[in-house]
Amino acid sequence: MNLFGMLELSGSALGAERQRAEVVASNMANVQTTRTAAGGPYRRQLVVFQAQHVPRFSLALAGLHRETASAVRVAAVVSDQRPPVLRFEPGHPDANPQGYVAYPQVDPVEEMTDLLGAVRAYELNASAVQATKGMILQSLDLLR
Amino acid sequence: MSMIDTPLMRGLERVLDLSAFRHQVIAANLANIDTPGYRTRDVRPFAGEIEQAMAGDEPSLTEQSFTPVAHEIRGLLERPDGNNVSVERESLLLAQNQLRFQVAVQFLKAEFHKLSSAINGGSAS
Amino acid sequence: MNNSIPSIRILPVEIGTSPPGVAEGGKFLEVLQQSMDQVEGAQGDAATQVAQLLNGQGADLHSAMIAVEKADLSFQLMMQVRNKIVQAYQQISTMQF
Repeated sequence: MNLFGMLELSGSALGAERQRAEVVASNMANVQTTRTAAGGPYRRQLVVFQAQHVPRFSLALAGLHRETASAVRVAAVVSDQRPPVLRFEPGHPDANPQGYVAYPQVDPVEEMTDLLGAVRAYELNASAVQATKGMILQSLDLLR
Repeated sequence: MSMIDTPLMRGLERVLDLSAFRHQVIAANLANIDTPGYRTRDVRPFAGEIEQAMAGDEPSLTEQSFTPVAHEIRGLLERPDGNNVSVERESLLLAQNQLRFQVAVQFLKAEFHKLSSAINGGSAS
Repeated sequence: MNNSIPSIRILPVEIGTSPPGVAEGGKFLEVLQQSMDQVEGAQGDAATQVAQLLNGQGADLHSAMIAVEKADLSFQLMMQVRNKIVQAYQQISTMQF
């Protein structure tokens, strides 16, 4: 197989899932953040994954039709557009005139589920890397 | 090319080429398991392989008529974001495919050794 | 004349078992030349694939390994052909007339 492309492809997924996990960590850390430098509460972050076609020189000699496989990348980290959660806490320093405090729309359960998804995907792609390595070693073994 | 060629060798080389190509496609599916709208792809000679194997026919991998093409698979469960990659399916195929590659390599090695013995008259390696 | 030249079986080519003669020398050399051409071809192909591999130009690793192995076997074959021919000529030269 194409040595240089294969490992990169799985590597792209490892990187993307890791970034996703980092965003979850950031959300979890800021679940109570009512005040940010930009003003207003922390806004929940999400990653947007996008397939990324890897250009590959085709093996004209072998006569095999090669289509480009796709790697993955984080196209963007965006803020959740849902309105912040309002809780009635008139004594809070960040309360608005009506006595409501705006909290980030971060749900720990939702975040944990996302994190589990990222971890599972990371493990899957790690085993893809192992499989690739195995096949590379097998190929080298052809020469005795 | 050269005199160093037998039908068995050609067949085994083909299995290797197909398996290597399929490995790339499976790895791409796994990499995009969370990509919205991504559709699972597979390689034509293998598609429906699991169903075929259960029905008792083995796909004929050594035929020259197949040009391996990656194409979308139908009949998979789709999630709300349009992604239809199945963890179970890809994990199973990853392992199975790797095994097939390994087996083909071993048989090919044996074929090379056989030829080497024949050429060298059974003496020296 | 009896057959003093051992018949050489090289798959799938078989060099004839006829008695030695100047005319037959040409046939031996023909086969050797063929072998050498094939070795050159096989080694060239192997070199190309390995170079492509190292340049990241998309050659499959297993294809390159197979090409290298085939080049090696072709070379071994050629060496055996050469050895047999040399042996045959040596036997001819020790014959008493």
